[in-house]
Amino acid sequence: MGTTFYHQLQQLLDDGMSVAVATIVQVKGSTPREVGTKMIVHPYGKHIGTVGGGCGEADVIRVGLDVLVDGQPRTVRIDLTEPIQMESLGVCGGILDVLIERWCPDPPAEQDPR
Amino acid sequence: MRQAVLAALTASAERREAVALVSVVAAQGELAALVGRHLVVWADTRTPVGDLQLDELQLGDLQVTWVEAARAALQQRRHTQLHYTTAQGDIQLFVEVQPQPYSLIIAGAGHVAVPLAAMATLCEFTVTVLDDRPQYADRTRFPTAHQVVAGPFRDELRRLRGGQPTFDPHTCLVLVTRGHQHDVELLLEVLDDPLAYLGMIGSRRRIRAVFELLERQRGIPRHRFDRVHAPIGLEIGAETPAEIAVAILAELIAVTRGRPAAGRTASSR
Repeated sequence: MGTTFYHQLQQLLDDGMSVAVATIVQVKGSTPREVGTKMIVHPYGKHIGTVGGGCGEADVIRVGLDVLVDGQPRTVRIDLTEPIQMESLGVCGGILDVLIERWCPDPPAEQDPR
Repeated sequence: MRQAVLAALTASAERREAVALVSVVAAQGELAALVGRHLVVWADTRTPVGDLQLDELQLGDLQVTWVEAARAALQQRRHTQLHYTTAQGDIQLFVEVQPQPYSLIIAGAGHVAVPLAAMATLCEFTVTVLDDRPQYADRTRFPTAHQVVAGPFRDELRRLRGGQPTFDPHTCLVLVTRGHQHDVELLLEVLDDPLAYLGMIGSRRRIRAVFELLERQRGIPRHRFDRVHAPIGLEIGAETPAEIAVAILAELIAVTRGRPAAGRTASSR
């Protein structure tokens, strides 16, 4: 045991890292991952888990890095309903809402995590 | 406070108990400052832990409602979204459920058990392997299993109930011993336990004969075997031990995920 998502998060915080945690909180239509799926956005790119890959995940990582800087939790809407002929990968036809929050070691690190 | 939330979540995972994390996803008006706050809720009456305490906002009643909703989500093993409208503004919460993991007991440590134990562990079952032959119930054959038990089948199975009168509804039992007499002995032992899954290997003919024999000799009516998955596994044409393990695991997933697929059992009786 000891390999749950929260153990991995605890390990990062213990190592002094601040990270952003992304959670799929709502889906509509066909999506690559289910509600409740979690991902850690790591400031140096060592992300853990996946919210489905592709352009949508890239958006989550980009917003995650913003959240790491300002600490403001927010929800991003990933729209995968683009027409198939757009040739972008990972088009499933659904929409996902992803909550992204910063988790810091205790006491919270105030410096810019980058 | 974040640290307390995380510590509660990791400790619950280590204790293999269900826990819910309530997060504020969005909120308007006076409640906007609550976004990103959390509350850890357990299925029992333990006091929730976290920085989402509403007493200071005169919303204590609402907090009670959330905790009840989180406990209902735990019961259903289902992540849930909650929306509330209050005088201070609207608020949207997400209840993330970290369910109690399913335990899988494999009685019989033979050819099917080896791939089944390995694959079931990958699928996050907590696997216990049981056999009365120590050379088979051997840790080196089951490196990823949670527990490998060598000893008399019935005695050890009773011991695995952990002092409770029955197994709980988070336990699955697969009967794949080397001889049908052991499978039947264990089947009768757990026939009234509220197991999540109870499956027994054997051909259609063999299973029918066994149930008929039990009815004739022991007076056990046929309907008491209705929930037994026998023949075991989904109908995928499995032939090798590894393929049979896939068929069994697929059935375990279908049952524990609440999507009963067409098992071989349904077509045989």
